Amino acid sequence: MIELTIERGLLDDNDRAAQVNRDRFRKAGVYVLNLMSGPGAGKTTLLEQTAQRLRDRLRMGVIVGDIQTSRDADRIGRHGVPVHQINTGGGCHLDARMLEAALDAMDPASLDLLIVENVGNLVCPAEFDLGEHDKAMVLSVTEGADKPAKYPLMFCQSRLMILGKVDLLPYLDFDCDAAIADARALNPGLEVLRLSSKTGEGLEAWTDWLVGRWRAVREGR
Amino acid sequence: MHEVVVAQQIVEAVVDTSLRHGGRRVRVARMVLGELACIDPETLTFAFMVACRGTCAESCLLEIRRLPLVLRCRECGAEGQRAGPVEPCSVCGAIGGDVLQGREIRLTTIDVDDAGEACGKEAGIEAIMSGGGLPSRFRA
Repeated sequence: MIELTIERGLLDDNDRAAQVNRDRFRKAGVYVLNLMSGPGAGKTTLLEQTAQRLRDRLRMGVIVGDIQTSRDADRIGRHGVPVHQINTGGGCHLDARMLEAALDAMDPASLDLLIVENVGNLVCPAEFDLGEHDKAMVLSVTEGADKPAKYPLMFCQSRLMILGKVDLLPYLDFDCDAAIADARALNPGLEVLRLSSKTGEGLEAWTDWLVGRWRAVREGR
Repeated sequence: MHEVVVAQQIVEAVVDTSLRHGGRRVRVARMVLGELACIDPETLTFAFMVACRGTCAESCLLEIRRLPLVLRCRECGAEGQRAGPVEPCSVCGAIGGDVLQGREIRLTTIDVDDAGEACGKEAGIEAIMSGGGLPSRFRA
């Protein structure tokens, strides 16, 4: 028997593809955000609201990943922004190559802001670099305050955590302080926004955050 | 949850390495898997067994070495194993820390026969690209 050395990270191929995307985004001058959450946390509703509020301020586009159907793209597309749907056909996350292929359908240079709505999944999307500038995530309060401790990786990787559906807090035992404390134990620099797409609470802070990040990236900060 | 994709990548890398050394049959593939990686070892082992069918790695053993989570405390700087990423530091009790080890998903070595018939090209990358032994629903 001969022992052969391989020493190869299994995400190396993805990381190389992500770097290709990153270079492309830099040349195009577009700010790219990878938006992640578990299924049903409210990403698509948030992006509908975001499109309505930002479409006159920034040239915004959305690429949305789902296992099946174009329902999310149809919903977001009604709000007057370019949308492209990726169907992973069973895949539990987007990877850098899927995004690269989708970029051919949506010219990044025609955009200021590209939001990639990842497949609804609190686990796997966090593992895959897409070449984005930032990752943000939604934790809806119906999911429970223990999620940062139980599903840590996404909280470690995100720049921003949106606490979503906060209009439901009066009906729940969700402990906001405990959830935020656990998330910041994982990631001390994590920014947090409380938001409800239903009542509009926090939406202005969210769009201001996006514009601020777009400006910071454009100015090389 | 993406064990099938990872298993295919392992088979690709294993077969590629074997073919570059004469295409001998692969008996063991070794990898390290951090406790914080979003991969279930049992599911990965099953997916690997299926994905390597029809290649020179068919029936080879996948040895997975788990790497425990090691954090560096952000308060006192102590480095040590923790049961989870929000467990307190054993020295000062501060919660959490920076991950030094635990995210690894990495192949390390393989054992191949040093004699015997070399596997042909048909047992190589082409077999994997066409889906290898994967049921059709998993094929790209």
